[in-house]
Amino acid sequence: MLRGTQVAYLVRESFAGFKRRKLTTGVTILIMGSALMVLAVLTLATLNLGNVLETARASIDLRVFLQDDLDPSQQAALQPRLLEIPGVERVSYISADMALQEFRAVLGEDAEILDLLDSNPLPASFHLALEDGARNLDSVRAIRTEVGVWPEVAEIIFNQGWVDALERWTVRFQVASLVVGLIVFFAAVFVISNTVKLTIAASARVIQVQKLVGATNSFIRIPFLCEGMIQGFLAGVLAMGLVAAAGKILGPRMTGVVFFSPLQIGGFVLFCVVLGMTGSWTAMRKYLTLRSEM
Amino acid sequence: MNTAKINERGPLDDRAVIGFYHVELAYQDQTALKDVSFTVANGEFLCLTGPSGAGKSSVLRLIAMDAFATRGQVIVRGMLSTKMSRRKIPQLRREIGFVFQDFRLLDDRSVEDNVTFAQLVVGVKNSEIKRNVMRVLTQVGLWDKRHRLPRQLSGGEQQRVAIARAMVNSPKILLADEPTGNLDPVTAQEIVDLLFRINDGGTCVLFSTHDHEIVKTFGERVIVIRDGRIESDIERRNVVDRSARLTDKMYRAEAGTKNDKTLSKKELWHA
Repeated sequence: MLRGTQVAYLVRESFAGFKRRKLTTGVTILIMGSALMVLAVLTLATLNLGNVLETARASIDLRVFLQDDLDPSQQAALQPRLLEIPGVERVSYISADMALQEFRAVLGEDAEILDLLDSNPLPASFHLALEDGARNLDSVRAIRTEVGVWPEVAEIIFNQGWVDALERWTVRFQVASLVVGLIVFFAAVFVISNTVKLTIAASARVIQVQKLVGATNSFIRIPFLCEGMIQGFLAGVLAMGLVAAAGKILGPRMTGVVFFSPLQIGGFVLFCVVLGMTGSWTAMRKYLTLRSEM
Repeated sequence: MNTAKINERGPLDDRAVIGFYHVELAYQDQTALKDVSFTVANGEFLCLTGPSGAGKSSVLRLIAMDAFATRGQVIVRGMLSTKMSRRKIPQLRREIGFVFQDFRLLDDRSVEDNVTFAQLVVGVKNSEIKRNVMRVLTQVGLWDKRHRLPRQLSGGEQQRVAIARAMVNSPKILLADEPTGNLDPVTAQEIVDLLFRINDGGTCVLFSTHDHEIVKTFGERVIVIRDGRIESDIERRNVVDRSARLTDKMYRAEAGTKNDKTLSKKELWHA
């Protein structure tokens, strides 16, 4: 158990390192902050991509096109059957005429071309909106397989291509983020570990005397761990500040981009503190084990 | 290795604070100590001498548990080094004071802070720290210079600060590794005298030196180490009068004078 005098000494020593080595500490925080900014940007991109994917999933729907030869009563009979399928929330009927109107709207000025047609070539269709739990590729494929065999159905389409691609790219991006994140993590540990090694080298005599007069390893370690944690904290705050500043500058051009929540910012800074502590621990462990005091 | 085996291997002195029993110390392919056995009694002043590289510092490292015997046993204050957990070493170190040839002071701290540091580290109360620091700095005659930095002091004064730091935690053993190595003969003698005074207070002192002139003046037990082995272990009582030397620092003491001081030392040995 530490005494008051020891706690006061440790607190003093933890901050004394900053005063004694302003430049080294400043450069370390700058390098570490820059590396962590890369990590923060990657994390932010991953979070935003996740949001985009969620939105895309929410927009997954199916369009069931009907055979041309169905009479209105046959068409109407399909609606309750479609609603009975698990995962289908709402079924809206789009008549051939309505489809033509929609198409005309899409074509805009070029819609005159449709006047050349003798008859409406577009089929009637049902638009299927899905329940939240069914907005995934597996459910959509299952519905398509089931409905696709009905004789009344001509074709089923859904926005599979780009959702597929988005999901694929999201996974790739997440893997890349993880790899880069790990590299940044080890780089940050390396940077802070080396700075603490410099600090230790500069404090070699102090450590030596501490050991000779009977200080425990954990007592010797505490100021260095605190120093690493403070460096990690400041680097984390710097990284977040840089990302926020970049967000402010680029904000108008990046509509829809979501920034970290206060909780996420807190989590990131805490992670940086742990990172700083890990770096210090790595440096101290070797030093305290190998070094002779006499 | 149990106690019974230790007894078989060598004489176990019940007054011993330090015991070496057939100790061997090897660094990779080099053997620093070979079959070294001796004990040091509580309150004894022991001079370890021999040429550079003979193994004197290795003996001190083993006592401080900064190194561990590759064979044999080292017992310090009743603790066997081979059985001692590394976590317990700091506890042992609090009972040992260290003085080195190069002083090992913290250059950026004042004399007072250097000594206070040793108390802070082991968690002494603030009120006690002030009292203890004042006591030891007065004993070594540096209370008036307590605000100076080490570089503002002479070599002898720096060594006295180191001794004050070593003594502030009231250790039972003081290990002095070539403490006079960087000092002129007069200052060296002052340091030796200071160590004698510390020894008179009951602290066991191990004084390591390769300086024959210093050794010649000792009226104490001298162990000569050569090539890692003990060459001789001689108790040279009453060769020099310690008290006389304390009053005459220019080596004018006459050998062979017997006085009360020496007797009190003898009494201490047999206590």
